[in-house]
Amino acid sequence: MKQLTAIGHSSVRAELMEQLMTLGVVEISDQEAKLGESEWKALVKTDRNDGSVGRYDNWINRTTQALEALEKYGTEKKPLFKTRAPITLAAFEDSLKERHQIEKNTEILTVYSNKLAELQATQNKLEASRMGLIPWKEYDLPLELKETKEVDIILGGIPSAANPDLLKQEVLAATEECTFELVNGDSEQYYIAILCTKAVRQEIDEILKGYGFNRAQFGDLSGSASKNITMIDEKLAVIEGERAKVIEGIQGMEGERQNFELLHDYLVLKRDRAMIRERLLITKQTFYLDGWFPAAATAKVEALLTEKECYYTIREPEKGEETPVLLLNGSMTGPFEAITRLYSLPDSRGIDATPFFAIFYAIFFGMMLSDAAYGVILTVSTFLILKKFKLEGMAGRLMKMFFYCGISTTIWGILFGGYFGDLITVVAATFFNADVVIPALWFAPMEDPMKLLMFSFILGGIHIFLGMALDGYLSIKDGRPMDAVFDIGLWYILLIGLVLLLAGVSPDIGKWMSIVGAVGILVTGGRHNKGIGRITGGLSSLYGITGYLSDVLSYSRLLALGLATGVIASVVNTMGSLAGGGITGVILMIIAFSIGHSYNIAINALGSFVHSCRLQYVEFFGKFYKSGGEAFEPFREKTKYVEILREDH
Amino acid sequence: MNTEVANLLFNGSFLAILGASIAALAGIGSALGVGIAGQAASGVVAEDPKKFGQALILQALPGTQGIYGLLIAFIIMQKIGLLGGSGLMALTIPQGAYILAASIPIGLVGIFSGYAQGKAAAAGIMLVSKRPEEIAKGMVYTAMVETYAVLALLISFLMVNGVQL
Repeated sequence: MKQLTAIGHSSVRAELMEQLMTLGVVEISDQEAKLGESEWKALVKTDRNDGSVGRYDNWINRTTQALEALEKYGTEKKPLFKTRAPITLAAFEDSLKERHQIEKNTEILTVYSNKLAELQATQNKLEASRMGLIPWKEYDLPLELKETKEVDIILGGIPSAANPDLLKQEVLAATEECTFELVNGDSEQYYIAILCTKAVRQEIDEILKGYGFNRAQFGDLSGSASKNITMIDEKLAVIEGERAKVIEGIQGMEGERQNFELLHDYLVLKRDRAMIRERLLITKQTFYLDGWFPAAATAKVEALLTEKECYYTIREPEKGEETPVLLLNGSMTGPFEAITRLYSLPDSRGIDATPFFAIFYAIFFGMMLSDAAYGVILTVSTFLILKKFKLEGMAGRLMKMFFYCGISTTIWGILFGGYFGDLITVVAATFFNADVVIPALWFAPMEDPMKLLMFSFILGGIHIFLGMALDGYLSIKDGRPMDAVFDIGLWYILLIGLVLLLAGVSPDIGKWMSIVGAVGILVTGGRHNKGIGRITGGLSSLYGITGYLSDVLSYSRLLALGLATGVIASVVNTMGSLAGGGITGVILMIIAFSIGHSYNIAINALGSFVHSCRLQYVEFFGKFYKSGGEAFEPFREKTKYVEILREDH
Repeated sequence: MNTEVANLLFNGSFLAILGASIAALAGIGSALGVGIAGQAASGVVAEDPKKFGQALILQALPGTQGIYGLLIAFIIMQKIGLLGGSGLMALTIPQGAYILAASIPIGLVGIFSGYAQGKAAAAGIMLVSKRPEEIAKGMVYTAMVETYAVLALLISFLMVNGVQL
């Protein structure tokens, strides 16, 4: 990263910003802090223009709404992945000549959307009142009738926990001048209608109160409940018809989708160009900007600024200065940036772990999925997707990463002899009475699990040692070479010594290495502490050996998950062979094969992904990785639907 | 009479099959875990149906204990001849008891780790509901629990594998 400061004449400002956007390599910094300083404040002000940003935002919202309506009600088939369609600048500008017509069309869709929302609201209201009326369907007096000259009508409900029979008995026992009708009951309430003379009204109210009686509210409805329900049903039918008409209208606009997308992107570009102005400082005649750009783009940035006759300085970041973070990796390790990004970007003063763990990630994934057929499926399907869709960003990275992981899985599958588990053996035995075994190129883990366990530990050891080496490298780079010697070197001696000692390769050397390492750690572990802390610090450092032990043991998952894939595959194959040979046998085998292996590949690919991540995040990153960098966000064309191509690029 | 029946039933083969059953009980943990995660997932999806896929991934994570239990049960069944043409072997009581003992780690750890992992997965789903871009972190937290199921699986596997029949 390099830091750029530039001052130019106001007349070139708009042009320069437009070309910087096209170039898309400079992150323009926020100037809020400078405006707080009185010296700056006296000279400049920000070039902010909220009014036009707001106007563009309004239009963007409207276009987005139109596109959402098309997406929701449209009949066009949606692609599996959304990709940006390439379009030349000329074609882009050409399509937008009719901009006002397109804007008008978005307004039509806005009207449609609003109409739909309105219909939905009315529908909800009607349905709610219908729900309230349903229990009273059997009650045939008009709902607005609350009393006659002599008689009161009490309508309402008691909670379903209460006993309506008891209530009835109590009411009828109290007075004879009333009728009690249990109209309906559901999981919430019992619905009751009581007709009584006005004289006994108070008495009945008292009894009802004891049962938690709630009077029913019907608002200004008139007529019987069933008549009202019929009316509501009619209204609902009308709404349904109107809705169908509106949706038809929306579908009629589907031809406009592409224009809407172009308009959306055009507006976004305009908005972003208006918005970036709040990061510029201006005087009457000049403007000022500063920001960051990747060192690789220096020539282009300089050429542009020179062309626009700006005064500029470019400098390297100072030691310890925080800069935005841009990960730069080649085409092989680049896809694995996905894993780094899912964790968190590295601190700008730290190190990008991607190139170091990429190969390990692929190996771990392959060992855990470890089936050649699954590997081929993964490789081919990701390859086809990548071929068909031009995926960008995270989706593209993950897809490419799984492509590499698929290759690794295929290789490990061949080494371990797994092809849909033991499918070939089972099929040959069940249907052809033959004994066919595809031998593993290396060895079958089921037959010698200890060998694979040891191999997993060794692989894990290498992985962890690499992490420690990176920590040492960072210490040295940071000007603390002794830390690298004490914290990494001594551990190397101790751990390698222990391995030599315990594995019995050369116990003597191993013993002495272990002792030197352990004593060294004991003495130097507490060197940053004072007094008694020097001793306890050393002890607690040495205690860290348990951490290394559990770290290495954690790699046993490579064996366990690899076994899981193989064994589940053979469970599936065994189930498929249960009906023996013949037609039924073939049918059962096909069913078991397609369901079982799809399930197995899905669940174990997920497991392999998660556990490979975990081995990086916990065991590897834990050794050295410092996260927390801010992503590099260059000022660029952030279009969503189209990618604008220019001839000169 | 009673001892005769007892001797007929409670022999080595029975103990080995009992072992396979105990291993398969790890599925209890997965069922509980996936259930807990599923409840949380439904809550989140009710707010935003687009999160279905992400929530489903997290919900699937506690499902592995059941698979590990199945794996050990399957290996035991294969070892004692319950699967395949050869038929059930006659095991001595010590042999059966060894296999029974070997099945306990995955059976027991599977139940509790599946339950605990389900709770972690549910919390991960809550995380996704607020910050969908951080799903990887939720997955890693959930996978931390699974480590112990993996270790139990490994121990059970090595023990079953090591028993000489």
